[in-house]
Amino acid sequence: MRWHKRLLVAGVAGAVAMTATACAGGQVRGADRTPKPSATTSESAAAATKANDATFVYAPNLDVVTDWDPATSYSNEIIAMSNIYEGLTRYNTQSQKPEPRLATEWTSADGGKQWTFKLRQGVKFHTGAPMDAGAAKKAIERTIKMNAGAAYIWGSVKTIETPDPATLTFTLKYAAPLDLIASSGYAAYIYDTAAADKLKDGKTDAGTGPYTIDTWQKGKETELTLKAYEDYWGGWKPEQYKKIAFRVTPEITTAWQLLQKGEVNFVERLNPQLFEKAGATQGVQTSQTPSFQNLLLLFNTATGPMKDVRIRQALQLALDYDGLVAALKGAGKKSTGLVPQGLIGYTANLEPKQDLPKAQELLAEAGYGRDLPELKLKMTYAQGDEDQKLLVTLLSSALKELNVSLEAKPMAWNAQWDQGKKQGQDIFVMYWYPDYADAYSWFLNVFRSADKPQFNLSYLKNTEIDKEIDALPQLTATDKFAAEQSYATIQKQIIQDQAAVAVPYVQTYQRALTADVQGYVDNPAYPNVVFFYDLKPAS
Amino acid sequence: MPRYLARRLGQAVLVVAGVVVLTFAIMRLVPGDPAVAFAGPKATAEELAAARLRFGLDDAIPVQLWNYVRDLVTGDWGISLRTRQPVREDLLLAFPASLELVGAALLIAIAVGIPVGVLAARYKTKFPDFGVRVASMLAVSVPVFWLALALQTVFASNLGWFPVAGEYDSVLDTTSPLTLWTNITVVDALITGNWPIFTSTLEHLVLPALVVAAYPAGVIAQMTRAALIEESGQDHARLERALGFGETSILTRFALRPALNPVLSLIALVFAYAIVNGFLVEAVFNWPGLGRYAVESIHSLDTPAIAGVTLLVAMVYVLANLVVDLLQGVVDPRARAR
Repeated sequence: MRWHKRLLVAGVAGAVAMTATACAGGQVRGADRTPKPSATTSESAAAATKANDATFVYAPNLDVVTDWDPATSYSNEIIAMSNIYEGLTRYNTQSQKPEPRLATEWTSADGGKQWTFKLRQGVKFHTGAPMDAGAAKKAIERTIKMNAGAAYIWGSVKTIETPDPATLTFTLKYAAPLDLIASSGYAAYIYDTAAADKLKDGKTDAGTGPYTIDTWQKGKETELTLKAYEDYWGGWKPEQYKKIAFRVTPEITTAWQLLQKGEVNFVERLNPQLFEKAGATQGVQTSQTPSFQNLLLLFNTATGPMKDVRIRQALQLALDYDGLVAALKGAGKKSTGLVPQGLIGYTANLEPKQDLPKAQELLAEAGYGRDLPELKLKMTYAQGDEDQKLLVTLLSSALKELNVSLEAKPMAWNAQWDQGKKQGQDIFVMYWYPDYADAYSWFLNVFRSADKPQFNLSYLKNTEIDKEIDALPQLTATDKFAAEQSYATIQKQIIQDQAAVAVPYVQTYQRALTADVQGYVDNPAYPNVVFFYDLKPAS
Repeated sequence: MPRYLARRLGQAVLVVAGVVVLTFAIMRLVPGDPAVAFAGPKATAEELAAARLRFGLDDAIPVQLWNYVRDLVTGDWGISLRTRQPVREDLLLAFPASLELVGAALLIAIAVGIPVGVLAARYKTKFPDFGVRVASMLAVSVPVFWLALALQTVFASNLGWFPVAGEYDSVLDTTSPLTLWTNITVVDALITGNWPIFTSTLEHLVLPALVVAAYPAGVIAQMTRAALIEESGQDHARLERALGFGETSILTRFALRPALNPVLSLIALVFAYAIVNGFLVEAVFNWPGLGRYAVESIHSLDTPAIAGVTLLVAMVYVLANLVVDLLQGVVDPRARAR
């Protein structure tokens, strides 16, 4: 053998040797299936066609599952888990109320400190075990005990009792809207705790939902497939999708091409240009829904020039809200107040407007502005976020006219947050969203006084506002009308009186689906989740 | 030879040690607290403290470096902040797919680059040479991301000749499940005679492999051309001409063998380079390799995963160079003296 041939052979041998480390030792890719002999070409093509006909393909841009445990799961897997597991209730954005799921009815007493849920009868976990009050109690108690992910949502729970197999009674330490809490997309799943230790490898699940795990291949393009759970309590109609596939597609342009070819049915977000194109493309339909995620410009109320409320108010008036929303091309909707539409607390009359003369006047009163000393401000925002970059461009240009220079620094979240906790900027830009459909999250986390700021990055300290915030859970649990009023009052105090924040827009979900999918409704309480059970292909 | 072997191995170990220190420094120099990336954007102070304790982030830097090196040597490459899985396991899942793509790309690059280089050398300064030089210059300089999108749009989306993305048709997981031995799909399909997956993988490989092959093919063609032109000016070529051999015969029968020596060294280098160059191609074609893992890790500032990818790629570089050095030492005794 000639030497260069030997070299080539050695190279190939080396490559094979390297991969030997990854040797899988004869495992079958996919589920625990015995390898079948290869079908004939026509047979496999026919089978493929049949399988494709019944499969709904979702194209997420990130890996689907990082945590299979329903107690601790707190990430992108919500898009799959919400179809495998169910909670006691599910939030309806239209009615702004939680609706029955595993619980059919519920009542509260003792000023929102006592809650009784009646459970649906005849429900079985995918493990075959019956779902009753005892099982639900064990699931919630395990989630609380694990104390990870969003387990904090059960923080108000003191005891759980099961007077009979169909009744679950909660006694709370303090009043809270437990029907809303139980609708959370995280940490509120009811699951069979007996199977909890076997969930890690993604081969089985312990939910009650309409779908169950078929295959999970971590790191693969089609990472996860689900199949219909035949004994689902809601029953099945022939036209519903029985198989679901999650095909991970990080590149938006690739997702768009796959959608056009009908290889995927749902793309969770396209860029504005492609979304516009999708709206005019045959075979594709689009859906646009305001989310529960809004952008906050938190002004430093504690130190630096923005300690002066007139400067904070000037900043609120300087931003071109309409121009920004227009430039976002549908990716954002102008906000009114802190609470997005669809949540209790949404206030329609707090729409912000640009007013440069008024802003100039306020700045002049504070000793800055045209023909006065230049005001220099530091702002931090998320690296790689094009929407925030657009905001920076528009705000900088508006402020320049007022003799205010903005030093805007894009940063990775953990670095930005670290600096924020040390009060290292004048304006902190971040998104906020609730873990369940309750506006309380904005007020408790972002605006309640804190000695060591965690998310209160406007550093607002106001005991009156704190008192009103602390009263919100009880009001929401007992008197929704009073809660609405209180939310409106607090928002006026925070936005108008204290000028601690500017809220430029609420993000809009821009989905693209193949035209043959019917029944899709975006529910922003469950970000990026498609409830496949509600869909059917056009006949 | 043993001294030569020991010297080269020693150098390789030093390079890897340097990379280990560098990756550790990168992990610690990245602004922000890695505990935040692990515990999530809404982590409480207690959760952050628990994460810091788990990853030893409160230890002194020399202690952290020592723990990092000790863990690496014992096969513990850390826990990914994003996937919550051991980084080594993640890499072992992703690397075979990258190897499959780069292997196919290198086969294409060699099959195209060497004959094209010979053609250019044979017709030096004439039209074929000009054409090859322009084409190879384009292949080397065109951004892979753009090339990937262009080929995907034209040949997959518009003409429909090839699949848009993916490693193989996922329906085959149901109709024709693959038994894994090496984790390299095309190899496993071949070994087990799984022809539906084998043919589907080849179809899916064509476009991404062509894109990844562009740079190596251009470089190999240029290097082959230059080496052949140099060899054809040597004394032995003048003798061969005097003996009546034609130019084509001189190039292919006598000059090609010595000219391939630097070309083979180059292939070892471009192999490792192509793995990194392929990251963006993998993202465009949804290829489930290191690229997707690296891109998602960078996006979420998953420093242990980024360090793992860096270290793995560095080891591939070092290994490829070591293999070439050792083989050159075997075939050319003068190399051992250098």
